Amino acid sequence: MLTVPHVTSYLTEHFADDDFGTLPGYERRGGYAAARKALTEMSPAEVIALVKDAGLQGRGGAGFSAGLKWSFMPAGTDKPKYLVCNADESEPGSFKDRILLERGGHQLLEGILCAAHATGAEKTFVYVRGEYAQPARTLSRCIDEAYEKGYLGPDVMGTGFRHDVVLQRGAGAYICGEETGLLESLGGGKGQPRKKPPFPAQYGAFGMPTTVNNVETFSHVPHIVRNGADWFRSFGTEKSPGTTLFGVSGHVVRPGLFELPLGTPLAEIVLEHAGGVPSGRSIKGVIPGGMSMPILPADQLDVPMANEFLRERKTMLGTGGVMVMDDRTCMVRVACIVTWFFRDESCGQCTQCREGTGWLNKIVRRIERGAGSSEDIDILLDVAGKMEGQTICAFADAAAWPVQGLLRHFRDDFERHVREQKCPFTESFEL
Amino acid sequence: MPRITVDGNVYEVPEGRTILQALDDVGLLMNGVTIPHYCWHPKLSIDGSCRLCQVEVEGAPKLQIACNTPVEEGMAIRTDTERVRSAREGVMELLLVNHPLDCPICDQAGECKLQDYAYEFGALQSRSREPRRALKKNVDLGPTIVFDQERCILCRRCVRFCREIPKTGELAVVNRGDSSVIETFPGIPLDNDYSMNVADICPVGALTTRDFRFKIRVWFLDEVPGVCTGCSRGCNVHLGVANNRVYRYVPRRNDEVNDTWMCDVGRLTYRAIGAADRLRIPQVRNDRGVLEDVGYREAIAAAAARLSRLLESKGPGAIAGIASPHAMNEDLFTFRRFLDALGVEAMGAAVLQGEADAILITNERAANGAGARALGFGDPAQVVARIRDGAADAAVVFGHDVIHREFLGDPAALDRLDTIVLLDSHVSPVVRSAHVILPTRVPAEKLGTLTNCDGRVQRVEPAVEPVWEALAEGEVISRLGAALGLPGFDGDWDARRVSAAMASSVPAFAGCDVESVGPSGRPLRREGEPA
Repeated sequence: MLTVPHVTSYLTEHFADDDFGTLPGYERRGGYAAARKALTEMSPAEVIALVKDAGLQGRGGAGFSAGLKWSFMPAGTDKPKYLVCNADESEPGSFKDRILLERGGHQLLEGILCAAHATGAEKTFVYVRGEYAQPARTLSRCIDEAYEKGYLGPDVMGTGFRHDVVLQRGAGAYICGEETGLLESLGGGKGQPRKKPPFPAQYGAFGMPTTVNNVETFSHVPHIVRNGADWFRSFGTEKSPGTTLFGVSGHVVRPGLFELPLGTPLAEIVLEHAGGVPSGRSIKGVIPGGMSMPILPADQLDVPMANEFLRERKTMLGTGGVMVMDDRTCMVRVACIVTWFFRDESCGQCTQCREGTGWLNKIVRRIERGAGSSEDIDILLDVAGKMEGQTICAFADAAAWPVQGLLRHFRDDFERHVREQKCPFTESFEL
Repeated sequence: MPRITVDGNVYEVPEGRTILQALDDVGLLMNGVTIPHYCWHPKLSIDGSCRLCQVEVEGAPKLQIACNTPVEEGMAIRTDTERVRSAREGVMELLLVNHPLDCPICDQAGECKLQDYAYEFGALQSRSREPRRALKKNVDLGPTIVFDQERCILCRRCVRFCREIPKTGELAVVNRGDSSVIETFPGIPLDNDYSMNVADICPVGALTTRDFRFKIRVWFLDEVPGVCTGCSRGCNVHLGVANNRVYRYVPRRNDEVNDTWMCDVGRLTYRAIGAADRLRIPQVRNDRGVLEDVGYREAIAAAAARLSRLLESKGPGAIAGIASPHAMNEDLFTFRRFLDALGVEAMGAAVLQGEADAILITNERAANGAGARALGFGDPAQVVARIRDGAADAAVVFGHDVIHREFLGDPAALDRLDTIVLLDSHVSPVVRSAHVILPTRVPAEKLGTLTNCDGRVQRVEPAVEPVWEALAEGEVISRLGAALGLPGFDGDWDARRVSAAMASSVPAFAGCDVESVGPSGRPLRREGEPA
């Protein structure tokens, strides 16, 4: 279901128009002017400087400056340079990239062209989550159209610049959305993140210098090139400019995707845009940015949705997947689901992650069964602490943080399970 | 060379290396600087997954894995802070969450890094109350290796070994998360010439060799440094010895020779040491043509009598000397002196040829071909021709490789000789033709040196007492020389003294006596090279 976007949207402004996904429809609405401008009027350094000035943060979860990341690509190398578009959107609660692929394929390709010019990349691999069959088909058609029109290929727009886009579908592993896990999978290996150094800008896809950006990150770029850094900064907060797509799910009246400026209060997103929880219910907790981000309790919904504010509440924007839970929800069951997911998806390389995710899951399941002890709660926190910040990639952190968040704000739920030796939330969702 | 500070001590280390590599290069790792590690191995690619080697690096907010962090000038590392200790304890606890803790019935107990590190760096007790993983036990991965999936800590050393050293890649990790297991591919067993090395590098009891498992508890074994004698690579080994028996060879690290590896064929050559077909008692063929058991004194006297009769009647031209490349440099040096003293000129060494590989196995199926050549025992073709066409009447023969089809072929060719004095360690068809049989020791029973394919002289120490009665070839020859009244032979043979005499009289061996070569050997001196 597609929700009509809010007033401040530019990414999704035309997403309700079916012909926006076609090349003529996209060009009728000003499409590919930005790429033409970048390729013919701007130097690569100017494009990078512009994106840096705009303050575009990566929208894949970590929020790293996109312009800065592009500047890491080595200049003057004989090796081919690659871009990778990370469309392996697998974070539970996140479904923004899917819409950007399905409805804004050309917007993405235009962003890729701008970035390719900026970084000198000759090829982009778009790695699409395996389950995203329809988005992959749609994007594939867009790529064909762009080749036919000469917007991709050996001579992009007659400028002599060569750029190819290759669509690669994944096989359904969460970890392949991690930058280097993706690169391994793309190269035909098992989806396991690489140790760093070397970093992707030195040794990326197929061993070549590579920059990986999220679908949404690329999609913002044509708008920045067309309208300038100041325009971009007129949206959002000082440190987090621009809009983003908030995907609201869970116990709300109008679940859906909302393009809103960064810094929009969580309460506004949940209560106004998504219509709040059904009548007779109240909000218990909200996960602000996809399942790996720590939960916030109902009394903290005033927080502006930008990393600088969310960090103060010990959570992060992540991928903007807002998951709302009402007062019937058993937070131990939530923990069961979260820990099961990460146990199942851990690639199994690093000790802490491989063994820790399983251990956390076993403990919370035992607590939910009514066989927990108060010591278990301390062990949960201790194990989560030992997983955090000690592994090859951030997966172990992503597995530890939600458990820490649940215990930070809903420890009482866990203690009641232990005290009563059963789950007291009879109306909660079933496991 | 960057200078790094580790726990306050400054070290100069090679450039372009990671912390563990650099410390290993200068010999400090686990030998002055303690950084426990599982997945890192000095001769395999860096994995970075066990996370046990985390250390504090000044200026880095997070702990860094020492295996993959490049050293930099002025880098300050701390290996023993509260943070590091707590991280190690965390890793150890997590590794043990699913480990079966079946040490009492595990063959690795006593040489298990999981045991060692758990005692040294782990918590006293596990807090886990959860059921452990139930996985495959006692799985045959191939002809040589038995696998216990439950004990595996997924360090993936074995996987990397198979991909990087024999390049056969039989092993892989399948599944993910805590369902990850090491597996072979369907229908493709772990079967390569180096497969047993995976048991050496497995830090736990997951991979054990079919050959050694359950033979003896490792704490009963003495680890005696030695050299494998399967081919001329001379892989450095530790002989596992108990009850005057060698139970196994495991490779001993020597970066100049075999890194940390050895081939499976060589590894199993230990079986020949105490084998049932060892020659045990000196024998002399009597007038009726039957071999009679005698003592050394009698056998040597019989050999001397036969040889002096021929020397008197026909001169030294009737005698041939066939040396064995299985004998040590010291034995061969004595033999050379013996033949020179007799005036015998027909001599050579029968070195069996085989197929070499690009890893360790060489084309010479003997440990000391290079030593034999350096001491003047070259191609035996001429000697063989003399025996075959009847020009020789007697032969002093070391070993039995000379009857191989590359050389004499049919052992019956020996029958036309008047006298065969055989010095050998094992029973062979030569015994049927020999007139005097003198049992000799194998290298595991001797002190001395062997020269490998690259001309590296390596020391061998006696690991076991010889079975029954056996002397080194050098000692037998020395006694035979004395019995013949040869000048300079008094029958009193000492490997150390002979080794020193060889080093001072044979220029190639200068500085290469048994006391001077050291634990990792020393190359033969090339011509023109200063001593």
